[in-house]
Amino acid sequence: MINSLLVMALIAGRRCAFLAPDVESVIEVGNITPIPRAPDHIAGLTAMRSQALTVLDCRTAIGFDADEFPLDHRAIVACHLGDTYALRVDAIEDICSAVSEPGTVPGGFGQQWSRVSSGLVETRVGPALLLDLEALIGGQAAIGAAA
Amino acid sequence: MDELLADFVAETREMLEASAGEIVAWEANPADGARLDSIFRFVHTVKGNCGFFDFPRLAKLSHAAEDALADCRSGTREPDSALVSAVLAVIDRIVAMVDAIEAGEDFAHGGDTELIAALEPSDADDTPVGESTINELESTELPADILDTKDNLGQKASQPASVDRAKHKPETAAVQRSIRLPVDLLDRVMSGVSDMVLARNDLAHRLRQAGTQPTIDGPFERLTAILSDVRDAITRMRMQRIETLFSAFPRLVRDLSNDLGKQVMIDIQGGDVELDREMIEMIRDPLTHIIRNSIDHGIEKPSDRLGLGKREIGFLSIAARQSGNMISVVVSDDGRGLAEERIADKALAVGLITESERADMTSDGILQLIFKPGFSTAETVSNVSGRGVGLDVVRQNLERVGGAISVKSSAGIGTQFTLQIPLTLSIIAGLTVETSGQRFAIPQSYIEEIIHSSSKALDFTRVGETALVTFRGNRVPCLLLSDALGLKRSEIAEDQSTMVLLRLASGDLFAMGVDAIHSHGDIVVKPLAPAVMKCGIYAGSTLLDDGQPVLLLDVTSIAADNNIVSDFSSHVLQIEDEHTQTEAAAVSRAMLFVDFNGHPTAIRLELVQRIETITTNAVDLSGTHPRAVVDGVILPLVGLSEEPLQSDKLHLLRLSDGASQLLYAVREVEEAVELSGALMPASDEPLVEAVTLVGNKPVSLIDGHELFARFGVVPEIVNKPLCRLPEGEWARTILTPLVKSAGYDIVSSPDTAEDLAIWFEDEFEAAAALDTEFLTPVVRLRDAPEAVAGSPTIYRYDRDGLLEALRQVRRAGASA
Repeated sequence: MINSLLVMALIAGRRCAFLAPDVESVIEVGNITPIPRAPDHIAGLTAMRSQALTVLDCRTAIGFDADEFPLDHRAIVACHLGDTYALRVDAIEDICSAVSEPGTVPGGFGQQWSRVSSGLVETRVGPALLLDLEALIGGQAAIGAAA
Repeated sequence: MDELLADFVAETREMLEASAGEIVAWEANPADGARLDSIFRFVHTVKGNCGFFDFPRLAKLSHAAEDALADCRSGTREPDSALVSAVLAVIDRIVAMVDAIEAGEDFAHGGDTELIAALEPSDADDTPVGESTINELESTELPADILDTKDNLGQKASQPASVDRAKHKPETAAVQRSIRLPVDLLDRVMSGVSDMVLARNDLAHRLRQAGTQPTIDGPFERLTAILSDVRDAITRMRMQRIETLFSAFPRLVRDLSNDLGKQVMIDIQGGDVELDREMIEMIRDPLTHIIRNSIDHGIEKPSDRLGLGKREIGFLSIAARQSGNMISVVVSDDGRGLAEERIADKALAVGLITESERADMTSDGILQLIFKPGFSTAETVSNVSGRGVGLDVVRQNLERVGGAISVKSSAGIGTQFTLQIPLTLSIIAGLTVETSGQRFAIPQSYIEEIIHSSSKALDFTRVGETALVTFRGNRVPCLLLSDALGLKRSEIAEDQSTMVLLRLASGDLFAMGVDAIHSHGDIVVKPLAPAVMKCGIYAGSTLLDDGQPVLLLDVTSIAADNNIVSDFSSHVLQIEDEHTQTEAAAVSRAMLFVDFNGHPTAIRLELVQRIETITTNAVDLSGTHPRAVVDGVILPLVGLSEEPLQSDKLHLLRLSDGASQLLYAVREVEEAVELSGALMPASDEPLVEAVTLVGNKPVSLIDGHELFARFGVVPEIVNKPLCRLPEGEWARTILTPLVKSAGYDIVSSPDTAEDLAIWFEDEFEAAAALDTEFLTPVVRLRDAPEAVAGSPTIYRYDRDGLLEALRQVRRAGASA
């Protein structure tokens, strides 16, 4: 885990990290086709080259109000179970390498964050929550049911 | 028939290839139930298939093997090595026979009886084997021994045929001009090509932004052309109309109902739905099994039906519909329905369920038992549907490809099987519609008709909260797409929406109101993320030419969400109703319109093939009778008044009596009405059959007989005249479209004879100076606007003059 590359991003004002191998690319988000009656965290569809990506707002997915935070005009592209997603965040920062194993802190990170995070990693820019794509993308049924 | 036969041969081979491993495994362990099942299915399917070809020997062999295996499955007989050998020998014989069928030769007689006898339980082995036909070499051996050498058996037992086969083998190999490819390879190629098309569109967009660059544009155009060719080819490679499968059913139904002394009418819909070849092969057996079961067990004998107050003739309907990336095929009959009690009793008897399980089962749960292996309700095993092996095969086949099968049944009313077949990656015809500023795609296969808002016929009303429109005299529920999607209503008043009439696979019809229709064309359906699929209103997504993603609506789910689908039992009753209704009402419907003299007029609806709108320059008034060109066909035009045409557009009714056609010009099309009033014969006007009242207004009803007697012609395809253009960029880019729009085709090869040539004046003079012969009429173009006296030239930008000249030549050619 130490030295593995991380893509750093701000989500709902907090510093988060995605494992670089999970991230396919970072794209400029063009037009988004909204999907009526889709869950709130699905912002719509956007085209990348000849592919349609599902645009997912990470802030809403975790349980925050996206309007309270700035929005990066770029998105992180990640693949999950054969579908490709464009993840929208406050800001996409740099690529760093992890300097620690992911670990937990006593008391946890709060319910919302704990659901999507596998722990805290130290990087040279400070500690960040290591996000679990599976939980972020796949775990939506849970939120939908709770809401 | 040859094609069916080839299918049969290919299918049998394929199944055999698939079960070859099973056979070997079964031989090693005869007690293995799963292997037994799969071999049983093989012989069962062969038996079923040769039932409707005339292959009595094949049928007999496979039936015998099936009997023996069925005994093993039910546990009354223990499979032993003698039985295994005997079954394998039968399978080998089947293969040899199939080879002979393919080669089109007779299979040597004899040998079957021994094979069948060998299938008998071993205590019966002592019975005299065969009567007299046994071959001299093996006459002393016991059948089981003969059969042991299974690999050689085909040859041994049928020497003459195997010699023939050896001779014929190389020939068949030479004839074979197809290859088999794994489907994922095709999938990959196809998705690659679709991506290429989208990448091309992207590139085209960028090139347009960058401005004209001749060095790039040329090759790019070529790329485009090649790509569209490749795409067509790939699409055709995989897709096949489901018709190829359905076409065999009427015959199957006829033969089966004759065999069983029943009368069955079959109704097939949706034959033009295109489906992966692979999928078609996959559902061929299931559908055949279901139809067989339905006729054998479902539909009652005519006398029983009459006693129950049903029509004497049973009704079997097969409908295919495309819904996004699924195709549903619905087979429904109006027979006695599935007998739940008997299903449950039977399941108890064969040990599929226990008494306590049964007590807890819902009626639907009981119905689902029919998909369990080893289940059967037929009291006697008939030659037709067999022993319930059918449905477990059906389910197994479908589930393997990610499909599903379900059954609904109402006692005494009918049974309905629904097969869902996935289209993982497919190109379908779709319509793009817009509502509340957003675009959506609808699969074309659902669309019955599109009615534009201006049409008075629609009669949009609200009854309570439900919106209704009137379509062909029936009230049809109407759903505004913006409401269904929870979008903001658009500015357009709800009764001004464009209505797309959609017909569901269950036969229910409803109207969907949208703001506008955009385009229709082939769309490449891609799956959506699970979270989006969960909304239950989308079937996939696709990219428009400009790269914008568009959602494909799942029409069935939307209808179900809004409770538009009627429940099953009323549907079957509806079918009957529709039939009686059409019988009663067939004579009395007419299309109401206002003719060119402003009179309200009607014409019998059966004569109206289509309503056409053409531009007036497609009308030719020069002959004795007016004519017009519609879809590349010249047809006589009736109904124009003396006055010249005032607008650019002309509304026409395209009438047909089946063979000949004609066009009837109308000022305004109103609606279809029922001719309920009395018909008063009108003798003074030859073209009027009668005068009648429609809504208290007198309307003349046109006499179709007289009309066609006078004017009807069998349409002929117009051969467009050919025009040769001068060389050069100007001619190619500016002149060509104009000449084409005037109804000419452009010739480019020097060998083709043209009907007309256009020359630039200077070139024409140069050619004339060289004594060139001009065989065809020539139109000469000059560069200067001012005419030179005495020279019949036309200024190159004098559009009207040029069109007039082109028209004159064309007319002269037509009269020549």
